[in-house]
Amino acid sequence: MTEGAGAGATAVRVQGLWKRYGEQVAVAGIDLELPAGRFIGLVGPNGAGKTTTLSMVTGLLRPDQGTVEIAGHDVWHDPVAVKARIGVLPEGLRLFERLSGRELLAYTGRLRGLPGTEVDKRATQLLDVLDLAGAQHKLVVDYSTGMRKKIGMAAALLHNPEVLFLDEPFEGVDPVSAQTIRGVLERYTSSGATVVFSSHVMELVESLCDWVAVMAAGRIRAHGPLAEVRGGAPTLQQAFLELVGARARSAGTDLDWLGGGAR
Amino acid sequence: MSTAELTATVVRLKLSLLRNGLRQSAGRRAAYLTSVVVVILVAALQLIGLIALRGSAHVTTIAVLLAEILALGWAVMPLFFPSGDETLDPTRLVMLPLRPQPLIRALLAASLVGIGPLFTLCLLAGSVLAVAHGAAAYATAVAAVVLALLVCVALARAVAAANVRLLTSRKGRDLAVLSGLVVAVGTQLVNFGAQRLGTAGLGRLDPVGDVLRWIPPASAIGAVDSVSKGSYGTGLAQLALSAAAVAGLGTLWSRSLTKLMTAPDASTLQAADPGPRERGSAGLSRLLPPGRTGTVMERSLRYVWRDPKTKAAWVTSLAIGLIVPVFNALQGTGSLYFACFAAGMLGIQMYNQFGQDTSAFWMVAMTISSPRDAYAELRGRALALLLITLPYATLVTVVTTALLDDWPKLPEVLGLSFALLGAMLATGAWSSARFPYSIPQEGYKNVAPGQAGLAWISILGGMVSAALLSSPVIAATIWLNVTAGGDRWSWLLLPAGAAYGALLLLLGLRLAAPRTARRLPEILAAVSKG
Repeated sequence: MTEGAGAGATAVRVQGLWKRYGEQVAVAGIDLELPAGRFIGLVGPNGAGKTTTLSMVTGLLRPDQGTVEIAGHDVWHDPVAVKARIGVLPEGLRLFERLSGRELLAYTGRLRGLPGTEVDKRATQLLDVLDLAGAQHKLVVDYSTGMRKKIGMAAALLHNPEVLFLDEPFEGVDPVSAQTIRGVLERYTSSGATVVFSSHVMELVESLCDWVAVMAAGRIRAHGPLAEVRGGAPTLQQAFLELVGARARSAGTDLDWLGGGAR
Repeated sequence: MSTAELTATVVRLKLSLLRNGLRQSAGRRAAYLTSVVVVILVAALQLIGLIALRGSAHVTTIAVLLAEILALGWAVMPLFFPSGDETLDPTRLVMLPLRPQPLIRALLAASLVGIGPLFTLCLLAGSVLAVAHGAAAYATAVAAVVLALLVCVALARAVAAANVRLLTSRKGRDLAVLSGLVVAVGTQLVNFGAQRLGTAGLGRLDPVGDVLRWIPPASAIGAVDSVSKGSYGTGLAQLALSAAAVAGLGTLWSRSLTKLMTAPDASTLQAADPGPRERGSAGLSRLLPPGRTGTVMERSLRYVWRDPKTKAAWVTSLAIGLIVPVFNALQGTGSLYFACFAAGMLGIQMYNQFGQDTSAFWMVAMTISSPRDAYAELRGRALALLLITLPYATLVTVVTTALLDDWPKLPEVLGLSFALLGAMLATGAWSSARFPYSIPQEGYKNVAPGQAGLAWISILGGMVSAALLSSPVIAATIWLNVTAGGDRWSWLLLPAGAAYGALLLLLGLRLAAPRTARRLPEILAAVSKG
């Protein structure tokens, strides 16, 4: 890792980020500094603006207002420096699915400007580690959800980025694949790289991340080291529910017919 | 539940599905009403036509042939339009406690509801009316229509049930995308055949008709004819054949349905590892230039073969680019200049390049950080196209020239083709950056809702500008053709046209590249709507 990975350095700096779709405000003025070398979780309920934020941070969506810097480089003014430093796994966008897993990696690596032999070497290792070696010649269109997430992650890691952005990397992924992905990500951050991933599964974020940002309704509600955000609450889930102001709906007498007894 | 109750329920289900489908959108309602009107019009027309043919020597042949074509249509229909009918997929009913026999009767009854059966009913009614003479024949005709309709519907069901695994798999859906093409080519062939028949006379078909009248469902029509002629025994045998066909198809259908409902779905089973196989494409990548250009070319070429939408677009372009000049030449009405059609049709493939990527364009966008990257990306795509287009356009031109035996004109037409191709690729590159739009991956549409205007601007505007851009070469061609002694210099148009086309392409790429690099998020948003 080069600049920006030292202790206390900032991997991502977001200032005054806004995005509106007509009347609807998707992201309402986000200011955020993500520390380098951490495993960072962006949590929030569905529709909180996580995907919109990550898309704007990675340069896939143009913000209405605001700036984003990655390792000190502006995403919109210095794309050469930024795009070489980040890896992305977006949610809801396709891959080139009519390529086989190996072909997809070869394609991505070469587009990134890596030498062919190096791409092939890294692809072989990634396919092995991510348990995709057996399916490497299958078209991605025939992959399961977990396999797609894994091949997408391999494509994002191929050029050894400083910062990796993953949008819902565990959504729809079976436990075995999830464990594989976790292992790779943990190894990657322990070498000083930064992972930013979004999720609405609190237990997962709590067990993986050491730094979290909580999002709701297009705003950041809390951010900082995990323990700080959790505060006095027993779990992140509790802290989160308090932060976004959701109360457990009483299941009282409404569904009293549900369960054992009379059918 | 009794069989009658079940039948009523399934038919009601079919009716609600129809109704709800129509309720979804005004467009769908309009399309449905239009098709009903068209069906009734066509049916009325053919009814008049068949009745007009009554008494003609060949009417039975026509009626019998028509019935077989209808049956063929029914057999092929579910393979290409698997999503057309909601009750078609019996796997949706797997969880219900139903036995196959009553279920089959119910589903068969439900299949009789819809435009397709209505159309078939009209055609069959017209056929028997044209053939029947006498009271006994009319009585037979009623049974014949019912039997023939049942054969058609049961045939469609049996074929669909036997292939449901294929139809719900990816390969089946890929196949469906190509169906438009089959219909288009089939229409061409039928058209060609009809023209031939028009000159050779219908009498030529009579021996075929003699065989077909024994094959269900046409045997039911044949029965009406036999009874009209007084051969009651033959008529009865023919009717029995059709009835046997209904029973046989029903049994077949029932068997595959039972198998379907009790056997595990193979798509969830782990496929055996085919083992490492190095494809021939490894050799291809060695031939392509290094760096981004070769990588992009390889991906584009793979997509031409593997992506059903891209493949369908290519095959259409290749087919039309060949058919128009060559068929015109064959019929003696052609001009050698029609050969430029090949270049024009194939040049269209450069349009909406990023839309062809669908939302996977983000993978490209993540690796473009400067106009130089965008230039390499666009150039790779243009080169991949040229790899197919250049030899193909040349081949079509040479073949057309040979057919017309007009060799002196070959250089100028080739030059014109190359200039046009360069202009199409240049405008295609530019409009790919300026007017990108989504191509939905499911179904037959090539434009996402709300983007049709964009697609029209892109392609129509592009074609007009391409024509304008190549006008210097066109002007030069005309000038050399009308000037006395110009023929001596017309060969110059080949190098001049090629050079001009190359120049246009380079300029187009240079103009498109900075625009592409600047508009990456906007392009991604535009192509992700499908």
